[in-house]
Amino acid sequence: MTVMRDKVVKALVELNIRGDENGLMPGYNVLVNFLPTTFWNLFTERLINAAPADKKEEVLTGLYKAAQECGYHTGYGIINSDEFKSVVMPMVTEGAKDVLRGAYAVFTAWGWAKSGIVQIKEGERMVVRATDYYEQHIKTGGKSSFMFSAVSGAFFDLAYGPEYPNGLGTFIGDQTKGIEAGDEFGEVLVRKK
Amino acid sequence: MSIPFEVKFDDTTFSQKAYGQDMVMHCHHYMSLVTALSDQLESINAVKILRESAEDSIRTFLDAYFTQNNINSSTEKLATAKELYSVLGLGKFEVSGNDAGGEIQMKRSHVDEGWVQKFGKSSKFINHFSCGFAAAMFAAAFGKSARSYNAFETASIAMGDSEGKIVVKAN
Repeated sequence: MTVMRDKVVKALVELNIRGDENGLMPGYNVLVNFLPTTFWNLFTERLINAAPADKKEEVLTGLYKAAQECGYHTGYGIINSDEFKSVVMPMVTEGAKDVLRGAYAVFTAWGWAKSGIVQIKEGERMVVRATDYYEQHIKTGGKSSFMFSAVSGAFFDLAYGPEYPNGLGTFIGDQTKGIEAGDEFGEVLVRKK
Repeated sequence: MSIPFEVKFDDTTFSQKAYGQDMVMHCHHYMSLVTALSDQLESINAVKILRESAEDSIRTFLDAYFTQNNINSSTEKLATAKELYSVLGLGKFEVSGNDAGGEIQMKRSHVDEGWVQKFGKSSKFINHFSCGFAAAMFAAAFGKSARSYNAFETASIAMGDSEGKIVVKAN
């Protein structure tokens, strides 16, 4: 057996999401929020569209780094959570590769992207595809899926980089296709930095 | 007060929806880094972009929630928005005011407490998201258009105050 995404997603999808008595949602070693995707998309879209040429790189790098760090720390919290241990780990038969598959199932369950690994050379490169992801609605005229690409790099950091918390940025995710750019699906290539 | 909050999972797209809006979970790292990025990019009005993105997205969400739950009076709308803030994991506040504006006393805050966890105490106000939320909440409650209210912080949990405070004024 290997990790079956759809089974994991349905087991992990948290339909009883709501803040505690303090209005906070602690979980996976982080504080979680649950917001309309339009907030994150509008911010990204307006920021990119507002940036003059000399600021564009700073904006794009900033958006990538925010998503990368989020994916690294939250990803670590996810794969070490009780939920992950009880739902995903019993299906893990192929080591780090299966842990990665499980991480993508959680990525999907959180509403980030209906995604999965289509190709992997362990410790070296990976191709991930998504047929639906919330960033596909960003309108900048180009590929703008920072969460999808940066979190993919961060998950690979966790699987094959130096031990947490020293592995951040070992790998990077390059978005090669995007629904928001007119492609049929989103695709990210993860490779060594 | 406990309010209903229903999230539906779409079996086709695997997305989560609440009151017709696509929803997503994110962590305090991302919120803090996006907030820090907006401060860093002040030369292109990024803080304003963050506030207005919060105002516009939350306004759509609040309007949908109010319509689908038959919440009609301004008082009910303010009280419900306050509860929704907590349901969404954003913290806890008390609100008072009328169509000319009002005040929010922030008891707990995802943005502020997340910032302190990530970066330590802040030297300036950073809860731009909640200022956008406040502007949306007052505009939705009193039937006004976007940018009808200006919301700004005068006390901040991130800066070390025991409670945060957001003042809301009609433009």
